Amino acid sequence: MSDWEPKIAAFLCNWCSYGAADLAGVSRMEYPPNIRVIRIPCTGRMDPKFFLAALREGADGVWVSG
Amino acid sequence: MGIEPGRLQFSWISSAESTKFVEVVTQVTNAIRALGPNPDFTKKLAEVA
Amino acid sequence: MITFKLNGQTVQGEKGQYILQVAEKFGVDIPTMCHHKALDPAGMCRLCTVEVFDGRRTRYVTSCNYPIWEGMEVKTDTEIVREGRKLIVEMMLARCPESTAVQAIAKSYGIEKPRFQTGDDTCILCGLCTRMCERIGANAITLTQRGLDMRVDTPFSINTEACIACGACAFVCPTGHITYDKVKEKVTLHPGQPIPSEYDMGLKGRKPVYVPYAQAVPNTPAIDRTKCVHFKTGGCKVCVEFCGVDAIDHSMQDETVEVNVGSIILAPGFEPFDPSKFDTYNYAKHPNVITAMEMERLLSASGPTGGHLVRMSDHKEPKKVAWFQCVGSRDMNRCDNSYCSSVCCMYAIKEAVIAKEHAGAGLDCAVFFMDIRTHGKDFERFYNSAKDKHGVRFIRSRVHSITPVGDSGDLEVRYVTENGSLVVETFDMIVLSIGLQISPAVAEMAKNMGIELTEGRFCKTDSFNPVATSKPGVFVCGAFQGAKDIPQSVVDSSAAATAAGEILASARNTLTKVREAVPETDVTNARPRIGVFVCRCGINIAGVVDVPSVAEYAKTLPYVEFATDNLYSCSQDTQETISQIVKQKNLNRVVVAACTPKTHEPLFQETLINAGLNKYLFEMANIRNHDSWVHRNNPELATKKAKDLVRMAVSKAALIQPLKEAELDINPTALVIGGGLSGMAAARSLARQGYDTHIVEKSDRLGGQAHNLFRTAKGEDVQKKLAEMTADIEKDPKIHVHLKAALTKVDGFVGSFKSTLSSDGAEQILEHGVAVIATGGSAHTPQEYAYGSDPRVVTSLELDRKIIAGDPALKALNSAVFIQCVGSREPQRPYCSRVCCTHSVDNAIHLKEMNPDMNVFVLYRDMRTYGERELLYKKARTLGVIFIRYTLEQKPVVKVAGGKLLVTTTDPIIGRPVEIETDLITLATAVIPNRDEKLANFFKVPLNEDGFFVERHAKLGPSEFATDGVFLCGLAHYPKPIDEAIAQGQAAASRAVTLLARKKIYTSGTVAEIDPRMCSQCGVCVSVCPYSAPSWTEKGMFAGRAQVNPVLCKGCGLCVASCRSGAIHLKGFDNDQVFAQIFSLSEAV
Repeated sequence: MSDWEPKIAAFLCNWCSYGAADLAGVSRMEYPPNIRVIRIPCTGRMDPKFFLAALREGADGVWVSG
Repeated sequence: MGIEPGRLQFSWISSAESTKFVEVVTQVTNAIRALGPNPDFTKKLAEVA
Repeated sequence: MITFKLNGQTVQGEKGQYILQVAEKFGVDIPTMCHHKALDPAGMCRLCTVEVFDGRRTRYVTSCNYPIWEGMEVKTDTEIVREGRKLIVEMMLARCPESTAVQAIAKSYGIEKPRFQTGDDTCILCGLCTRMCERIGANAITLTQRGLDMRVDTPFSINTEACIACGACAFVCPTGHITYDKVKEKVTLHPGQPIPSEYDMGLKGRKPVYVPYAQAVPNTPAIDRTKCVHFKTGGCKVCVEFCGVDAIDHSMQDETVEVNVGSIILAPGFEPFDPSKFDTYNYAKHPNVITAMEMERLLSASGPTGGHLVRMSDHKEPKKVAWFQCVGSRDMNRCDNSYCSSVCCMYAIKEAVIAKEHAGAGLDCAVFFMDIRTHGKDFERFYNSAKDKHGVRFIRSRVHSITPVGDSGDLEVRYVTENGSLVVETFDMIVLSIGLQISPAVAEMAKNMGIELTEGRFCKTDSFNPVATSKPGVFVCGAFQGAKDIPQSVVDSSAAATAAGEILASARNTLTKVREAVPETDVTNARPRIGVFVCRCGINIAGVVDVPSVAEYAKTLPYVEFATDNLYSCSQDTQETISQIVKQKNLNRVVVAACTPKTHEPLFQETLINAGLNKYLFEMANIRNHDSWVHRNNPELATKKAKDLVRMAVSKAALIQPLKEAELDINPTALVIGGGLSGMAAARSLARQGYDTHIVEKSDRLGGQAHNLFRTAKGEDVQKKLAEMTADIEKDPKIHVHLKAALTKVDGFVGSFKSTLSSDGAEQILEHGVAVIATGGSAHTPQEYAYGSDPRVVTSLELDRKIIAGDPALKALNSAVFIQCVGSREPQRPYCSRVCCTHSVDNAIHLKEMNPDMNVFVLYRDMRTYGERELLYKKARTLGVIFIRYTLEQKPVVKVAGGKLLVTTTDPIIGRPVEIETDLITLATAVIPNRDEKLANFFKVPLNEDGFFVERHAKLGPSEFATDGVFLCGLAHYPKPIDEAIAQGQAAASRAVTLLARKKIYTSGTVAEIDPRMCSQCGVCVSVCPYSAPSWTEKGMFAGRAQVNPVLCKGCGLCVASCRSGAIHLKGFDNDQVFAQIFSLSEAV
């Protein structure tokens, strides 16, 4: 189990956190490679169904960031 | 529903806050890593097949 | 082409190539310690030895400098070769047992300890340094002596002028034998200073080939001719060998380009004041005394310390930081800048708050100031929270000197507090809040152009023409017009653009070219045929992610017909290639795995359009910003993540549909609501650019508050100028003025508004494409200081009217008192009204000039004569106006006793109450907005808690709303003097013209759409939408069901998520598309 790494679905707002993620790249920062980003136009788009579907499809966590 | 609340994380980050982004990613990853794999809710292969 | 065998594989190489080069191309790894792409091979380390068979016998040669020939057979990994290499490494380790690089390679050959006698050298004599030095053109070092004594050295082992301290030798040295410090100590005679990074204020070094800063436009590296070694020695050019696209040309020359223009806008900006000459502050000598600009970099995440606050002398985290205000501003003694720089108070407060956020609440921040000038929108609130919430200390004192405490790095200051006591305090670092000034070069340029400057060397302008220079056709914006902050600079820049637009209106669109439209292929009902293009982005992606394997993987995904990798997907030629491949392979969806869609999506969409595809048939996977750049130490997981991201993008792409963008005509008519100076300025600019403009004014005349004003801070006669401007408006055939009129209803949206106007009971409908809100403000009516009960107590505007009317009583006054901040900066109105300090100071000067014997007092809290208005404050003091400060806790008291008008206030210097008998009290009353909630509702634009309208963006969009087609100017935005109100009127017009000039606009395709059959009429979408896009259908078979106006929809998806019936679809981000991405999170089973 020691080499188990969680897979996290990250729903990022196009205007806020997605931009922050881009900038983190531009600034060559480093962070854990566990997130898979799904770009959404706004966190208002976030539907509880997405969260449930992600967990069902094998994600170990869901992160929503505006 | 049997899902740990910690599996769903929210945050608000401005597009200029790359440092905060990195902090939050790390924190979210650690929080979920601490919860361990998500066994209960994943689609069971057998059921689908 | 030469064909030969490499480890049994038949390979080809160019004539003249060496074995190593060809092997590298075919992915065959040969170890070497002395090879460098840019240098001639020397065969020094012999690690690259390989076996060559010529048909008869086998030989062992160094592959780095052995040329290939037809028919040879090369083996790079035979037993003998390996054994030979192992022996070489063992001997290297014996020579340099301490070198980590040698230890590492030895370990890879399984050598822990050499069998031979060990030495203590760190140099393996690979000769990279000497060959590099030769290539650089310096020839300062060479391999001297022979045999066992051979070493890298300068001739005669003495420091030499020939070494230019470029550091290339240290850079190529594989063992760390040469360090830059050693070069400075033993090789060169030059000082060897790092090149200070201009962007990082010299706190960090930069290279001669550099990108000035991360957001630079264009974002391509430049070569600094003054620092590049090639321009010193004629040698080097190493960068040329590494550029994959042959973009570097050292022979390029500066060009003089002549352009024919109809107008010039000057935006040369300011230079930060250099505090080096203030020797008592020790800025030049002490690293812990820094400027605010340096502090900005220290606090920035992209700065030299990554945003970690440390002081420069010892990189210790400071416990106490002080800011000194007005360094290089409001100072005639030690520099010539007598004006106020306007921005430093606010930036110092901001830095103090951010410093506390970065370093924790334990950090002590103290700001030493004369007056705190937070006169911008919401600035006073920020100041209050810095004081009350964040605990920033504000000390009213001008400190004379900074004394270093021994070698500790600490700094001691002595200052006198308000109650007169002397305090000695020690700080870890001190930030000098330096002012803004116009550089000599800009002043020289102005002189050459024949442009007049002010006393403070700023560009001279007229309050009623705030962006026009003294030379017709030449306009100005930004700090060259006067020290100002970002919002004001942005307002000015729009105003300057419109001022130029007014004179060039007839030339609009005369130089534009129309692009040939490619007919769009109909892909409806066609099976998805996806093309995947994986970008290497030079080494940005390919350096970490295994790009070819990602492309190979993409080929295995459903519906993918074609996948490849590109060196630079965004380059012109690749764009054309993509376009051709789409046509050849008949692709109908494109996925690009590269950088971020936020910057590059439009570019690739353009490519799709050129290939005849709808631009929405496109999806991007962000494998650079979100992958290779942030996981560079983990190539394996980064490649896996890239595959996941590509898979998710492909699964979404299979479901995307072509989207239509609604085309919308823009009615070339503008409506300006409010006929004050700002609204008039907006209308005049719009009309001069050819657009019919209606002004709606609720009173019976144009001019608004300007009717109450005597003169501007620059001394212009407001009534005269107002009359001229009114005449301009009235004679302009394109401007239609509606007096005593008000809006009663507004329908429509950007491009086609329909507003109902009610005037004297008659109703009229105006159709317009844009609206400018200029509803202005008015003076607060005070309830204190005996106002209303004694006629000798008046407001500032009432005094102005007396002056305009030429009231003879004014001259006969023995004494006059001005009381500032009446209704402003108080708990119920926590903002500064910006104009009142200057207004009272100017009126005080006027009274003094009318009657020099009059005793004039100004009772104030902080004197906020920002910019060159400070000169008026200085003039008032010279004329003998007495300024007495008061505090909110101890406000002045006005009494009427026995017919005498008495003001009592506590003098902060002597700490005692002073009683003044006076003949006139002028109350500098707050500017309050005409809070118009109905109008806000009509145009769906927000009001803040003070009643001012909220602009799109406080800094970058001050003259427009988030709602498309609606603009903002004047006092309705925030209190401001005439010049700024007019500039903002022009700015609002400028922003409006950007829409009007387009004639047509296209809505975004990614909008929400309601399936009326599914709608249950619950109304949630109508109420949640911040942009009022959903509404009820009025007619037809779906009457009563909701519908979305694609013009108003911003595509946020709020309604989609909130629709309980599942009736709303967000095009481009629809449920099935997001689900597709979710379903492909894990590898398909």
